[in-house]
Amino acid sequence: MRALVTGANGFLGRHVVAALLARGIGVRALVRPAARLEGLGWPSSVEVFRADLRTSRGLEGAFEGVDVLLHLAAVVSGGEDAQFAGTVVGTERLLNAMAASACQCLVLCSTLSVYDFSSARRVLNEDSPLHTAPDVYARDGYTISKWWQERVTRRSAEKHGWELTVLRPGFIWGRDHGYMAALGQQFGRHHLVIGPMTRMPMTHVENCADVFALAAAHPRARGRTLNIVDGPGERIWTYLSDYMRGSGESGWRAPVPYGLAISAVRLAHATIFRRATKVPSILIPRRFESRLKPLRFENRRLRETLGWTPPLDYQQCLARTYGPAPSTAIECDSRRNNAHLPKMSEERTVEA
Amino acid sequence: MKAALIGAGAIAKQHLSCLKTLPGVELAAVCDLSPAAAEAAAERYGVRSWFTDHRAMLEKARPDVVHVATPPTAHFGPAMDALDAGAHVIVEKPAAPALGQVEALVKRAQDSRRHFVEDYNYVFNQAPQEILRRIESGEFGAVTHVEVLICLDILGPDGFADPNSPHPALKLAGGAIADFLPHLASLAHLFVGPHRTAQTVWTKRKSSVLPFDEFRAVVAAERGTAALGFSANSQPDAFWLRVYGERMQASANLFETRLTFDGPRNAPKPLRPFFSGLEEGKTIRRAAVATLLRKFKGAGAYEGLWELLGRTYRALADGSALPVAASQVLEVNRMVEALKPKERSS
Repeated sequence: MRALVTGANGFLGRHVVAALLARGIGVRALVRPAARLEGLGWPSSVEVFRADLRTSRGLEGAFEGVDVLLHLAAVVSGGEDAQFAGTVVGTERLLNAMAASACQCLVLCSTLSVYDFSSARRVLNEDSPLHTAPDVYARDGYTISKWWQERVTRRSAEKHGWELTVLRPGFIWGRDHGYMAALGQQFGRHHLVIGPMTRMPMTHVENCADVFALAAAHPRARGRTLNIVDGPGERIWTYLSDYMRGSGESGWRAPVPYGLAISAVRLAHATIFRRATKVPSILIPRRFESRLKPLRFENRRLRETLGWTPPLDYQQCLARTYGPAPSTAIECDSRRNNAHLPKMSEERTVEA
Repeated sequence: MKAALIGAGAIAKQHLSCLKTLPGVELAAVCDLSPAAAEAAAERYGVRSWFTDHRAMLEKARPDVVHVATPPTAHFGPAMDALDAGAHVIVEKPAAPALGQVEALVKRAQDSRRHFVEDYNYVFNQAPQEILRRIESGEFGAVTHVEVLICLDILGPDGFADPNSPHPALKLAGGAIADFLPHLASLAHLFVGPHRTAQTVWTKRKSSVLPFDEFRAVVAAERGTAALGFSANSQPDAFWLRVYGERMQASANLFETRLTFDGPRNAPKPLRPFFSGLEEGKTIRRAAVATLLRKFKGAGAYEGLWELLGRTYRALADGSALPVAASQVLEVNRMVEALKPKERSS
């Protein structure tokens, strides 16, 4: 089995590549033309296909001999328009190329951000309400582009009869990515901790990658939408303590009850910023809720559908995030798997 | 009046946001090569229909005015098609990569009794308009010289210097800086008129995909001189406009709301710098607050685009003179042509 992985050298992508190899699945890694791959430690069995989803021609070539697409690529920095062009228009072009290939199966990396947190009550799971148009356009650029990415992917899958799995991870954390937006508002070294006892919807990058690799080959994943969290999540105050200890950051933490904070934001929005069109996200009630609303997150459907349990528990995740650099799974697994994986061709680049 | 837009990228949002506020304007259609981009723009701004083929849009929506907001190298075809379909055209700057194409568009518009407007948004920001008001009132005196200098970091990997996906503006003579030449030329033209001669210096200080990252020009024009420049290396980002008159001088940063005047005052000459400094400090403090508040609402630094579109639609409705005349478009583009590099950097 061979998988095409977009965004393969990204934070999640590099771990997904490792997890696929660990399961004996061949990998073609789609990365941008100028991406630097030194230090990733990819074995020679990983075929590199260089292209930019926004502009490159010849994307069809990426699908030659591919059984499943794992679409992780998204633009998460820059302005709203750059994110839309990179994430949504890039996905349109990629899926047009897939339609011209024999590949019939894809796994999309979506996000919990597509849910309407403001409407959710107590529990957020796969049955919770999603954003709808045109309300979604009042959200941040990341939410708009990921919501649209899922929309165009579902439409394409329906049109072409593809088997689609949509995975919606919570906050993904790991080495060099220990800080999460759910931790509140940072002022330099200091933290305003909003709702310190709230449990965060979090998934360690290696656990999350394991779900993607499992879903790529699991027949029960086809046609399913699954949220990815490792469990009920750590409390914000607890994780922030671990983060500051692990990262060596010093600074004070000021706890603020969630109810007080959201009331203040709503009051400011209704008065001072009533007619404002450009306000920091944290001061917009609906965006505030999508980051910080205290809800219960669960992975029941993921466990029941795929029989998945996180390979790493919280303490192991902390150790791999803040402890000495572990020998990565990819190095171990490449040694284990190289013997039975076919040798793939040299690196390929398609023209822009 | 039915409006349609081709090219639903970043600047399209400013056009659509503004059009939604204009009385008597109906957002009839939006078009983009990406179906998602077109549909998203239509959903977001309440546009009645969306298309991925601009010719199909022109045929079905029959717009009165078409806004062309595609990349600069893709303006000409859609703009010409819109004129042929009987619509007025408002095109983003630069109107076209070559002067001949701009002249052809203006001629086609005149032949078909339509209007062709290029977006000179910074001309319509409050600061240049206030300077213009003082010039017209006689308070400022005749303008002798104007300086326009844009300092903007365009060397980052997310924009013009994206190493993964060449920016369309890199196809223009002068590369990314050419995208800003209409701003420089339109402001120079506003204060000193059509150019007669221009001397330019195009250089490159840093290694990047851009052919040039610094530009300077000295322009002799009908009513005075102009010094124009673009720096991708000088920080912080700023858009300096300085106008020198026979009685007053004005200084503005068009990325902010800062505008100061210095001129005659009722004080002994030795004390003039003292009182001028006090007044300038007070004006800058006020502008700092206004700039902060401007960030929270409305068009921000695009206030001039909103003003230009408002005036254009009012003029189209009542048949009065447009804020950007065809002669102005031709004269500004002739200046732009004179500012372009004669050969590309190695």
